[in-house]
Amino acid sequence: MLALWLVVAWLIDNPRTMPGPGAVAARLGHIAASGELWFHAGMTLFRVLASFGLAMTVGVALGLWMGRSRTADHWLNPGLVIALNIPALVVIVLAYIWIGLNEIAAIAAVALNKIPVVTVMLREGARALRPDLDDMATAFRMSRLDRLRHVVLPQLAPHVAAAARAGISLIWKIVLVVEFLGRSNGVGFKIHLLFSSFDVAGVLAWALSFVAVMLAIDLAVLRPWEARANRWRRDAD
Amino acid sequence: MRIDLRGKSLGGRAVLGTVALQVGRGQRVAVLGPSGIGKSTLLRIVAGLDPDFEGCLSGDDRLAVVFQEPTLLPWRTALENITIPTGCDVQTGRDLMARLGLDGQETRFPRQMSLGQQRRLALARAFAARPDILLMDEPFASLDPETATRMIGLTAELLDRSGAGLILVTHDEAEPDRLGARPLRLTGSPATLRAD
Repeated sequence: MLALWLVVAWLIDNPRTMPGPGAVAARLGHIAASGELWFHAGMTLFRVLASFGLAMTVGVALGLWMGRSRTADHWLNPGLVIALNIPALVVIVLAYIWIGLNEIAAIAAVALNKIPVVTVMLREGARALRPDLDDMATAFRMSRLDRLRHVVLPQLAPHVAAAARAGISLIWKIVLVVEFLGRSNGVGFKIHLLFSSFDVAGVLAWALSFVAVMLAIDLAVLRPWEARANRWRRDAD
Repeated sequence: MRIDLRGKSLGGRAVLGTVALQVGRGQRVAVLGPSGIGKSTLLRIVAGLDPDFEGCLSGDDRLAVVFQEPTLLPWRTALENITIPTGCDVQTGRDLMARLGLDGQETRFPRQMSLGQQRRLALARAFAARPDILLMDEPFASLDPETATRMIGLTAELLDRSGAGLILVTHDEAEPDRLGARPLRLTGSPATLRAD
């Protein structure tokens, strides 16, 4: 990919619209050294994690409820279909208008975009819960909390993991839009500034730096967690 | 434990008719009958897993169920499969596992155990709940004769030690005798219970 980039940059031969990897790397070094990178990437990461946590909690709860109760599914499904089809931009604009240009509106807007997707994925999982284990939990009079922890959530774990994986990447993209439109810090805000001055090297430097952060999260957090959660699937060794 | 069943239908078809059964601590009863007659349905009602029936279920005895399949939590270790559902302490769980020949298997996951071991684990779990009455649904089916004989021996031994009662559902005519259980037969349509 790096070679392709080099070739394209060399062919276009216009550092303004298509800077080479060298220029972008230099820019990255510059913003890292000035400390700007850590502050803005930190703000973006905070928004990503906050809206991710909110979206996963609400989405899992709603999905579980809709998958287990026919009545809930019947009444909430039209709302879910509508929510799935509202463009992210509309939700963001409305959240800023109704809640105000603040952090709560930003995080709520991102979470609202993600919740329906998590709900749909978890509803499928909740529909496929094993009835025999339900019977076992009832027969042994397990408490509601124990049931959730030991019987229900482990069965939903693959669905939660899939939703988390798909979710974190979608969320950071939406966070950038939210920052672009109405925040005064974060990677999206920086890209907004650089966009006004057509500074492509800057845009790429910021974008790449955050892609690296997201890759690190996937490798250091999501994958090990998935591997741990799947230990029991191994056969006798 | 006492059940006075007036009737039970599944999908519009009357499966069970009048069934009256009373079992206390130390009493052992076996319900015999061909498959599909409604034995498991009766056991599910007694276990409180199916509240949709006509009649009345009474008594405050502690019940524990050994299902047809081991029905273990695959994502929890063998020992946790005993302690989590029953709430018993770790030492009780270990002792029961040892008595059923499962010592050294505590940290294994169910998938890493043989079917015979999984069934013994399910039996250990049931006894860990300190039941007054043990409910068993074809627990020895699909085991090879040798393993089945061993399981029956272990069940009888644990029943003797704990003094628990037993309701065993089976299609195997020899099992009631081997467990010292009074045989009852489920016959007819809708099925009713009569002494053998």
